[in-house]
Amino acid sequence: MSGPVNIRTLAAGTRVVLASGAEAEIVSNPHDGVWLFARYLPAEGDPAGAGEEEMIFAQDVVEVRG
Amino acid sequence: MHRLSGYRPGLVDNATGLISREIFVNEDIYAQEQERVFARSWLFVGHESQIPNPGDFFLSRMGEESVILCRDRKGKIHVFLNSCRHRGMKVCRYDDGNTTVFTCPYHGWSFGTDGALAGVPFFREAYHSELDRSKYGLIEVAQLCNYKGTIWANWDASAPSFHEYLGEFHRFLDLILDGWDGREGQAELLGGVQKWIIPCNWKWPAENFSGDTYHNISHRSVDLVGAGPSGQSRRDYGELNVARKLHVTIPDRGHQTITYALPRDYQPQAAYQNSPEVAEYFRHCEEERRRRPGANSRLIGAPGEIFPNVALLPRQPRTLAVWHPVSAHQTEVWRFFFVDRDAPRAVKNFLRDYYIRYSGPAGMTEQDDMENWNYAHAASRGVIARRHPYTYEMGMGYAVENYEFEGLRMPGRVVDLTKAQASEEPMRNLYKRWAEFMEADNWDDLMTWRHVSAQAAQ
Ligand code: FES
Ligand SMILES: [Fe+2]
Repeated sequence: MSGPVNIRTLAAGTRVVLASGAEAEIVSNPHDGVWLFARYLPAEGDPAGAGEEEMIFAQDVVEVRG
Repeated sequence: MHRLSGYRPGLVDNATGLISREIFVNEDIYAQEQERVFARSWLFVGHESQIPNPGDFFLSRMGEESVILCRDRKGKIHVFLNSCRHRGMKVCRYDDGNTTVFTCPYHGWSFGTDGALAGVPFFREAYHSELDRSKYGLIEVAQLCNYKGTIWANWDASAPSFHEYLGEFHRFLDLILDGWDGREGQAELLGGVQKWIIPCNWKWPAENFSGDTYHNISHRSVDLVGAGPSGQSRRDYGELNVARKLHVTIPDRGHQTITYALPRDYQPQAAYQNSPEVAEYFRHCEEERRRRPGANSRLIGAPGEIFPNVALLPRQPRTLAVWHPVSAHQTEVWRFFFVDRDAPRAVKNFLRDYYIRYSGPAGMTEQDDMENWNYAHAASRGVIARRHPYTYEMGMGYAVENYEFEGLRMPGRVVDLTKAQASEEPMRNLYKRWAEFMEADNWDDLMTWRHVSAQAAQ
């Protein structure tokens, strides 16, 4: 398992993988180290969940795709 | 023998002019006044020039509590209690800045600049999406007023509007907020806010700034070194020779001030002689001011107090101070300095130097005052000292209504100090209002002016 992701450094446009396995693209970063505003990317088997903008909690971010 | 605890009628005795030391040093009274005075009064929070852009915030105080003055993404100004709805953690721990969200460091709840609770960690998992987030936004003040750029707030929805609360006293506040040339609302904040803690009850500075002209002697050394903007005294006092020096008190509101009423044919006196450029700027402004209609062109402001804890000094220096209560025995002073927005840079620089020389923790005049308050407070705490009330008997019975000087009418009750030099009418007015707040159960009982006008209409 990799260590915790420092979300403060992530720029808008960066793609991240969440604990649920879903992928999201950062829309904006309030730089509080706790939250990201991100849009879900279409997932296999759940294209309907895509496109929604949500607040993503730092502990939910498990991987940075770049 | 046991000490009587808490407020009771008679501690402020208007008939005799005697006021108990308990109201300054008693910790139960202090606790009661947080609820009865500070939670019901209009309090000064900051200036709009501190938060010009969406997302800007300035951390302020109301009474003992930390509040956030901020401008939301749509440009609307808010004042919120700086305390998370989950377990109360401060959601903002910076003096000022710009942000998209206030995120609580404890468990991560996140609030928008409009106060709405936007982010709750594990909302789906731990709360099973059942928490009603709309119920847990930041706590917002009940009323807010932007008065010529200054932001005032009140926790009590039943309080009158700020305009009504201020009443006719607004013209003395206007002396700070309007331009020196008489244009409306030209003031801008100069630099940051000076903040420091003094070991005395908040009512010491409040009563001093209500109009204590009697303590001039304690500033003798500042006068002797000539710290003023003309190298003499601590201020330019040219108008003293021609003006009527007055105490103006607004009895039903609890506001009071010293002011100078100028004669109709007044010629501006030389001022700011340490700098020809600054002297010329103010000479020009005075001329403009006299050309503009409005009663304020014949008033020169001096120390005053807006009930309960905001002091004004409209001219030299031009500043608002807030006496934030910390405990019965401690006060946090915040001093805001103002200049004309359009004044040349050289004038602003000159004034900054003068203001700092005069006011603040390192200001020569303010240091004199603090020495007096701090030691007077300490020497009033003991069991023997508390048995002996202070006297506020000076000039009792000498205030008049409908005071007029060469066609210039003054509001409220006025004591002419031109000969008398001093009176304690302003302090009696402050404590009378304070006692009314301590005794009244609701704002209806405090708005006596409404009852008077209702009776007159019948
Ligand atoms: S105290 Fe703020 S999230 Fe718990
Ligand atoms: Fe003083």
